[in-house]
Amino acid sequence: MKRKIGLIVNPVAGMGGTVGLKGTDGEMYKKALELGAKPVTPERTKDVLSHIRTKDRITLFVAPGKMGERHVEGTDMPYTVIGKVAGDTAAEDTKRISEEMVNSGIELLVFVGGDGTARDIYDAINSKISVVAVPGGVKVFSSVFSVSARAAAEMIEAFVESTDVTEEEVLDIDENAFREGRLASRLYGYLLVPNVKKLLQGAKEASGISGSSVEWKKEIAVYTVEEMDKRVLYLLGPGTTLKAISDELGVPKTLLGIDAIFEGKSVGRDLNEKGILELFDKYEKRKVILTPIGGNGFILGRGSKQLSTEVIKQVDRENIMVVATRDKINMLDCLRVDTGDLDLDRLLSGYMEVTVGYKEKMMVKVRC
Amino acid sequence: MLKEPIKLNMNEVAYPPSKEIIESARKSLMDLNRYSEPEDIERLLGLLADYSGVPKKHIIQSPGSDLLLREIIHTYSKGRKIVIVSPSFFPTVQAAKQFATKLISIRLSPPDFDLNPDLLLDQLNEPCLVILDNPNNPTGKILLDRKMVGSIVDHRDVLIVVDEAYYEFSGVTFADMVQEHPNLAITRTMDKAFSLAGARIGYMIAGEAFLDAFSSFYMILPRPSLCAAIQALKNPDYMRRNVCRVIAERERIWNVLNDNLAVPVYKSMTNFLLIKTDVPDMVGKLADIGILISDLSNQLPSGFIRVSIGNREENDAFITGYMKICETYSKEKF
Repeated sequence: MKRKIGLIVNPVAGMGGTVGLKGTDGEMYKKALELGAKPVTPERTKDVLSHIRTKDRITLFVAPGKMGERHVEGTDMPYTVIGKVAGDTAAEDTKRISEEMVNSGIELLVFVGGDGTARDIYDAINSKISVVAVPGGVKVFSSVFSVSARAAAEMIEAFVESTDVTEEEVLDIDENAFREGRLASRLYGYLLVPNVKKLLQGAKEASGISGSSVEWKKEIAVYTVEEMDKRVLYLLGPGTTLKAISDELGVPKTLLGIDAIFEGKSVGRDLNEKGILELFDKYEKRKVILTPIGGNGFILGRGSKQLSTEVIKQVDRENIMVVATRDKINMLDCLRVDTGDLDLDRLLSGYMEVTVGYKEKMMVKVRC
Repeated sequence: MLKEPIKLNMNEVAYPPSKEIIESARKSLMDLNRYSEPEDIERLLGLLADYSGVPKKHIIQSPGSDLLLREIIHTYSKGRKIVIVSPSFFPTVQAAKQFATKLISIRLSPPDFDLNPDLLLDQLNEPCLVILDNPNNPTGKILLDRKMVGSIVDHRDVLIVVDEAYYEFSGVTFADMVQEHPNLAITRTMDKAFSLAGARIGYMIAGEAFLDAFSSFYMILPRPSLCAAIQALKNPDYMRRNVCRVIAERERIWNVLNDNLAVPVYKSMTNFLLIKTDVPDMVGKLADIGILISDLSNQLPSGFIRVSIGNREENDAFITGYMKICETYSKEKF
């Protein structure tokens, strides 16, 4: 049976990179055009399509014009156009057409773009269906992206052949900060992708080490729960590794927020700074469990508004616990902190123990 | 695509064993229906002892040093914390993960990959088995000096194993400290510098504490391997000449790549080079043109690759292929 696959291309993604700009958000797109930037995504899209060997098993649905249709014309793949676009394309077009495609019954959405496109897709479809994300920009940070056009084609083939899916990160990158040479990112959400880890951006498979990412998270969770002190309030940061810990405890967890646990029970969900500080009034002993987010290893970034400098100061460095799967930690140069308070960042720098498995820890450098 | 792939992925030495070594192994094939002779085993132990500068009783031989490392980890993992570095020789990492009841890995971070001595010494507050490869594989870097080893062996509850698989290339050894420090052992191999990867001869230069547990570790080596190893040790100058050739080639590749490319090639004390590349899937692209190198994405951030030093012709093919791929990527990118 043929699989229904959608294709959406962000025609402006990556154009900033060709003229030395970082990102094409807002006014930057116009500036990139003035500087003579050329579209990057059409070639990437054609590259992906040319590498798919199971075309006869795919029914393709494409976005109109330069958002898809134009790049499929002239290829040997039949297609159906979904949605309409008038004039310049915008994030709203991506969101609307994604939804229309899902309503048309697609099983997989292939999109070509950058971190911003991934966020639009996440807003529109969340985890309703799986995606294959093709990096169209010069630099992408979300681990949801495939490493190359060829890798994306392999992921599509894996999906057609039927494979399981896994959650991968979508990051919110502050492009203004990035242009200033500073990376400020926060976890925006998770998209489902075909589970072919080695083909994903910065999330290479730890070949030779037995087990999968899910099993390693379980190992970490079992050990962390075993080591938990009933007299201590635990704040669990965002991320699927932290969710594995709450799953082990049998308590609910907000994937993107900060939740609190005491005596193995949930005592606060999706807490803001005020909520956390109120809990601190009640509980004298407290620990924060964090995991690095994105491919740059941030455990504490400016995007994490809930874990403010005030919160961190009240926790103390020795009560910050870090957990990460082996594949995640192996891909990082180091862990990073950027709280916005340089003195605090310096205090948090040095080496930290990271739990990477059952009774297994790694000493990893933290830089600011 | 080349007819036969160029194998620069296993840290083997490209130069074959000497004619005498091959002849010795060939002769032994006539007696393959027999186990190795005890006197040959003793002879190899004696030659390894002389080569290492220790009495024969300190030598434990094995088919491959990875088997020894695995056995050491298996023997001492109960009741001891295992301390290793990351990245490290992969079979060591695998065995540590499999057997350790408590495992600490100290991350060697790019760009310098230095081992922080204080961080290691801080871990030695309980019974430990420390295993460090020196030079480190895959960074090619020397991690330990005498002072550091001295500080570690001063901890009586600590056993330390230094894996010197690439000793002949680095010239750095702590074998002379073994007699004085019972809790120190050195593992080595004849797979690399002696051009005997196919023979699988590993050995341990063991301190007294290790001898207690390993005195019964009696591995009968295959007859051809034994004969090849004996012949190789009778004339180590052949190996030394090859080591000099490998080092000269290593430095030539290092210079060419560093002169022509913006991305770093790390200094190495081994027969391989660690390279950081910004070209995605460099390993696959080189494999497409028949050159096999190692992908390190299972231990290091993406973009790190390891290339073994081959003979001049192989190295030229690697340099040309690598630079061409970089050039093509550069054009595509901009």
